[in-house]
Amino acid sequence: MSCFALTTINASTTMLMQPMPTLTLASTASDPATVNAALLVSALLFVCGLVGFLTRRNMIIMFLCTELMFQGAALAMIAFGNVHHDASGQVFVIFILTVAAAEAALALGLVVLLYRRRETLDSQAWNELKEA
Amino acid sequence: MDFATLSHASSIPAAFLLAADDTGVMTSPAAALTIACAISAAGLALIMQPGRQGIRTAGTVLALAGFAMLMVEVLARATPHGSDGSMPPVFPVVFGFITLFGAVRMITHPKPVFAALYFVLVVIATAGLFLLLGAEFMAFSLIIVYAGAILITYMFVLMLAQQSPVAGVGDAWYDRLPREALSAIVVGFVILATLSNAFFSPQAQSDRADTFERTELSGTVNAWQTLDAMPKLALASAQAAYVESLKSLKSSNDGATTSATTAAKIVALVPDAQGNRVRTRGADAFVMAQFADGTTIELALPVSALPTNSRHVGVELVSKFPAGLEIAGVVLLMALFGAVILARKQIELGEDERRELAGMRRFTIEGESGGTGAQR
Repeated sequence: MSCFALTTINASTTMLMQPMPTLTLASTASDPATVNAALLVSALLFVCGLVGFLTRRNMIIMFLCTELMFQGAALAMIAFGNVHHDASGQVFVIFILTVAAAEAALALGLVVLLYRRRETLDSQAWNELKEA
Repeated sequence: MDFATLSHASSIPAAFLLAADDTGVMTSPAAALTIACAISAAGLALIMQPGRQGIRTAGTVLALAGFAMLMVEVLARATPHGSDGSMPPVFPVVFGFITLFGAVRMITHPKPVFAALYFVLVVIATAGLFLLLGAEFMAFSLIIVYAGAILITYMFVLMLAQQSPVAGVGDAWYDRLPREALSAIVVGFVILATLSNAFFSPQAQSDRADTFERTELSGTVNAWQTLDAMPKLALASAQAAYVESLKSLKSSNDGATTSATTAAKIVALVPDAQGNRVRTRGADAFVMAQFADGTTIELALPVSALPTNSRHVGVELVSKFPAGLEIAGVVLLMALFGAVILARKQIELGEDERRELAGMRRFTIEGESGGTGAQR
């Protein structure tokens, strides 16, 4: 009977009185060491992508290296979003994925076109595109 | 020398000075990071030497040592007052090593298909890091979209455009020889040193720690507001919380009131003055539940009612960035058009074919080999 009485009479009083655990976003709370490691890896990924883009001659691999740079940026986004307890970082990674997919479609179309003209993937084959 | 000024982001020349100064080599935070970056860069430079296996092995060892130094230094900085005796985090370090191994192999491997496969490794290890950072939805969508879709497209094009290997020659020369390796690595080193000094300066570390503390509460409140944006889910969790509380009440009354305590159905959640159905008090949330007979009751929501990561990201995406979402759609549509136009088979007609199509006589006499593009 007491339950029934509670629902009808004690309106607008807090029903649950057991102590609530101190609340953090359970799964997203990560220690600063993890964040630091992720930031370091993101910086290294970006730099690897950059070095790869500058040193490889194969056009497809060059575009793959830009994807590597995207990965570095996305990882930094997630890490900083974790620091800020904010899902906006993850939303930005969705946009990064979108741009990466669009870039892959366009870049690969271009590469196939260029390959048909010169029968090679070497980016040096298109040297005359640079200014004088 | 004032070390405090050296901890600033753009102090690389000063860091070099310090590194040369034997009194304070390892005491300066900037110098330690910069030296580790330099060792990694030197290792990468050696790995890029084509063809010489011994040098490449030495480079691998050097790059590994540099990366390990960086990792140790960076992890030490995460705890500001030295090591507190706790274990270093295993999984981030392991995933970091796998990621970097894949990345370095990708940019140095002479076979393009293997490079693409190493990129898949990078993507998977990065997804592991995403998981550790609490971004479950993005971790799995990264694998689906990157490893499942984008990389497959790359593989297709690689195999379409792959030249058949000439016997005895092996890989194409342009895949074996790096272009301007040294200057590229110098550029990479400068960017890496700047980035790592910016990320891991004591100032940035304490800023991050402050931000983490400061936003802990607002992040939770934000999550509860996400639940508020999903009325059906909020109602369901309120009902579940009500049933749970009835159960716990019943067990605490040790069976005295066992009769007929079926939970009444909550028909609505009464919004407060700001229109929030899920109200927050500190980090806790409660709702004003309304039953069919019009009575209301205040119910505290348990932690388990917090929206999951994918719900959180989804609500954030459509409520905070609707314009971005629309633009992303337009970008994808334009990419679709662009790819179709670019990849369409382009038939180049010679002069004769064009004249024929226009109903005119051919320039060249039949049988002569003067026609351009007649084979097409």
